This record gives sequence, C-alpha cells and structure tokens, in this order.
Amino acid sequence: MDRWLLITATLLAAIGGAWGMISVHRGRRSRLTTLWMLLALLCQLAFLGMRGEARAACPLADRGEILVFLSWSLTLFYLLVGPAYRISLLGVFTAPVVVVFQTIALLPGVLDVPPVKLTGGNPMHETHAATSVLAYGALALAAVAGVMFLVLDRQLKEQHLKSGLFRNLPPVRELLVSLERLLWLGGGLLTIGILAGFLMPHDTAALGHLLAALAVWTGYAVLLGVKTVRGLTGRRLSLLTVALFVLSLGVFAFV
Amino acid sequence: MELLCLGLNHKTAPVEVRERFAVGQAKLGDAASELRSLTGVAEVVVVSTCNRTEYYLAANAAGEVLERLEIHLVEKTELHGIATPHFYRMEKFAAARHLCRVVSGLDSMMLGETEIFGQVKQSYHAAHEAGTTAGVLNRLFQRAFGIGKKVRTDTAIQEGSTSVGNVAVDLAEKIFGHLKDSEVMILGAGEMSRITAQSLVSRGARSIFVSNRSYDRAEELAAEMGGCAVRFDDWQRVLQRVDIVISSTGSPHAIVRRADVEQVRRARKFRPLFFIDIAVPRDIDPAVGEIEEVYLYDIDTLEQLATAAREKRLKQIEECERIIDAELAKLNLPGT
Repeated sequence: MDRWLLITATLLAAIGGAWGMISVHRGRRSRLTTLWMLLALLCQLAFLGMRGEARAACPLADRGEILVFLSWSLTLFYLLVGPAYRISLLGVFTAPVVVVFQTIALLPGVLDVPPVKLTGGNPMHETHAATSVLAYGALALAAVAGVMFLVLDRQLKEQHLKSGLFRNLPPVRELLVSLERLLWLGGGLLTIGILAGFLMPHDTAALGHLLAALAVWTGYAVLLGVKTVRGLTGRRLSLLTVALFVLSLGVFAFV
Repeated sequence: MELLCLGLNHKTAPVEVRERFAVGQAKLGDAASELRSLTGVAEVVVVSTCNRTEYYLAANAAGEVLERLEIHLVEKTELHGIATPHFYRMEKFAAARHLCRVVSGLDSMMLGETEIFGQVKQSYHAAHEAGTTAGVLNRLFQRAFGIGKKVRTDTAIQEGSTSVGNVAVDLAEKIFGHLKDSEVMILGAGEMSRITAQSLVSRGARSIFVSNRSYDRAEELAAEMGGCAVRFDDWQRVLQRVDIVISSTGSPHAIVRRADVEQVRRARKFRPLFFIDIAVPRDIDPAVGEIEEVYLYDIDTLEQLATAAREKRLKQIEECERIIDAELAKLNLPGT
C-alpha cells in the first residue's frame, strides 16, 4: 500500500511539472501546478505516516525513506514559499527534482520491504534526522531558485526575451531574495540538526557522517557569511548554492 | 430605434480640429445630456480621449439625427466648413463593430493599448449616471466591454511593449520587480532620457538623480521629476547606490567605462545594475555588459524589441476582428 502511495505522489508531481512546462511553453502561468503538488504532498504525508506507524519512529531508517522525507520537505517549502513570493514557476522546477528523488526511492532495494519496527529510539536521534532532512528541503529549494536565476540571468544577458519561460520567470531581485532566505532557513535547521547529532549517542562508525555534515554546514556558513559581509553576484551565489546542495547529498552516503 | 456613431479621430482629423471637440472627463455626462435634448435622440454616450471624440446614439430616423447632430457640433465648435470632412458616420452593425474595435484597442494610435478600455468605460458610466442611456446603449456598451476583454485575453494584441521607453521599463521590472525600491540615475538630460525616466517614475521608481554637463539643465529636469541634480563629475559616486542608469548624453565617446563600474562593485555588494543606453554614439562601453551583475541594453536592442512587439500585434488584427464579428453575430443587439 505504502509503495502505491509513493507511486501516486511521484505521478502527481510528474503531472504537475509537465502541466507547468506546457503552460510556460504556451506563455501562460501554471497555477494548477500548485494543486498537483499539494496532492503529491498529501500522498507523501500518507506514505510517511504509514512508514512511521510501521517503524514506531520517525520514518528515516533507510535511504528510500530519507529521499521521500526530503521530497516531502522540498514540496512543503515550495508550497510555503511559492505562493508567498508569487513564484508559481518554482513548482515547474521543483517537480522534476521530487520525481527524481522519489523514483530513486522506488528502485528495488532502496526502501526496506516490509519496514522493520525500530527499538531503542532516542529523541535526539529523531530530532537530528527530522530537522536535517527538513533543512535539506529548504536548501534543495534554494538550489531550485538558483537554477531559475541562472536561466533568467542567461536570457537577460543574451537578450533572448521572447520565450514563454522568460515571461513567467519571477524578477531577478525576488529570486535572489527568496534564495537567500531559504539558505538562512536551511542553514538554521541544519544547525539544529547537527547540534542534536552531537547530543545523541553515537559510535565511531558515525564519524564519517559527522565530518561530512560538519563540512556541509561549514560550506553553507561560509557562503552566507561572504554573501552578508562582502556580497556576491547573483550568478556566483546561485552556482555555489546549486554546487553545495549537490555535494551535500554526499552526506547520505554515510547514513 | 437605430444605433448611430459620429466621430473623428487621429486618423481623420488633425489635432487642431480634435482639440475643439475634446470634452473633459468631468463634463462627459453634461455633454451627453446636451445631445440627448436634440430632437429624435433617445440615448447618448460621448467618448472623448486625446485621440478621438465619438458620439454613440440610439435614435429614430437615423439620417436626420446624424445631420442634426453634425450641425449642432459644427455650430458649437465654430468650425463651419472645416469639421465636416473629418467626421466618420456609422450606423447599426457598423457602429457596434466600431465600438468593439475601439474598446479592443484596434483603432488606437498605439495598436492594442489598454488605456482606451478604461476611458470608454468612464465615458459610459458618465452617460449612465447622467441618465442618457437605456436599453440600446446599455446593452451595446456592456457587450462591447465583454468582447474587448475576450479579444485581449484570447489574442496577443496587448502583448509586449511597443515603445522604447516601455520596453526599458518592462526590463527594469523583470530585473527588480516592484520599482518602488529602485533608484534611477539619468546621465544627460535629453528628451528620450526624460520620457524613459518618467515611465520608470510612473511605475513607482523611488528616486531619480539627474546628471548633465549643464548643471542648470540637470536641476531643471530633476525639479520636474522630483529628483536630485548631480554634478557631471560626481556621477560615479551616485553609481554606488542606484539600480538603473539611463544614459543619453550626446557625447562622441563612451562616458561609462568598465573601470567606472568595477570601482563601485564592492561598495554595491554586487547588486544587479541595469544600464539603458539610448545615446547614439553609445555612452556606455559594451565591455560594461560583460560584468556579471550588469544588464546592458542599447537603443538598437530596445528598438528591435519594440518593433517585434508591434509586428506581433499587427499580425493579431485579423484574429481580433474575427472574434469581434463572431461575438457580435451571436448577440443580435438592438439597434443593429
């Protein structure tokens, strides 16, 4: 049953993305993308609820669950940020990322079947896992906003201003503001997650994960510090945000 | 009861004739009431903009009423023998079709412009409040507004900007969003700079700095715009804070060089900077556009974008007229 919910969520996100892309190609705004993504979010929630029930803990025990939790977090932040900043097009860029993450989760062997009930859970461990994955959702969305900026920047620089995509992309300044806010939000949540990670009981096997997480945190802290103190061009900020997010996914290799 | 239209516009009459027929917005209702008192006239709406004055009437004995109206207008404007050749006269379906074309912006000087829709609406409301409309004109105008909206929604008749100034403003909004947080500097107080800056101010640009070789002229333009004058050897200092630079100095060589912008990048914290170069020869060294956070557009590019938008609109006329005819055919309006 949980697998079918995940398949449905993936299909809904795919429909939302495709619908949005067709609308943008025709030069229209893709308002319905938000609805498709909302439905995908509900399916993700139901999936995570069932897995959590089976695990009797936060459903972050295998790589598949982490990817779905990450997709849920990304979708949630999109639904919170997109309408607030009137960046409906964010959904068109978010949906493919969700589809990719969830498709990987659906590959054989990525999700535990059936999920094993966890014993001896620790609240700090669950706080660490949940806030870290939420942070990744915000940071993933920042990377999506970064990609949108890079597309718009290229079109403005090369003076290709007639496409439907150009007409629908939000202004440069709004994209950069939302990107920076998402970085601060993601960075804050990541800090809580890492602090909780220090406070939970761990053995030497977790050292690689800890070092990788610290490296990621340092990377984001330096990026935000440089942006705040010295300033950064939109292009560099976007490129670094995308690069850092891709590199930061390496942390899950140590889970 | 028949529908009639008598009017003159930018295509049929020069400004010295049009201005004699112009009716201020506050007096549209009175003008309609005055014409309503003519024998045979049952309903009236007077539409008056800078490019046209039109009289829409519902009346019996159309020919006689048109003649009476024309005589009345000629006497009132004292343009005996001058005004008549500039009038166009339409009856029944042709009058209804003309109103739909006007509302859709197809008859405007700037094809597809949106302002006319609101102006006709104001004219209709003024007549309605003055009590000079009833069954024929109420139905006609309400349907015409519906058709006008459909034309604008279903076609690309109002897409894109058709003037250099508007293209520049649209680009500024694409970069900065709401312009209320944006500051503008004008280099060279020429007419094109003034028009472009005015467009930016009308869309909310926060403050304007004007720098010109003649400081007096800079002060004059700054006062007109509600901005500040800056001495010409001091514009680099202002570059640190502004978001948009409009340049049109008439200088034979580049005024803004890459080094000028490089110098202020750190102080600006690498914020986006939009240069609009409307001077020939160009005022801004093209190398400035290679700086990451700089978007540089010259007059040729802006003109190409405006021309492309105008051509796109021209291609839409046939489709717009097809919609108008199809919608009018469905309605069977009284008086047509």
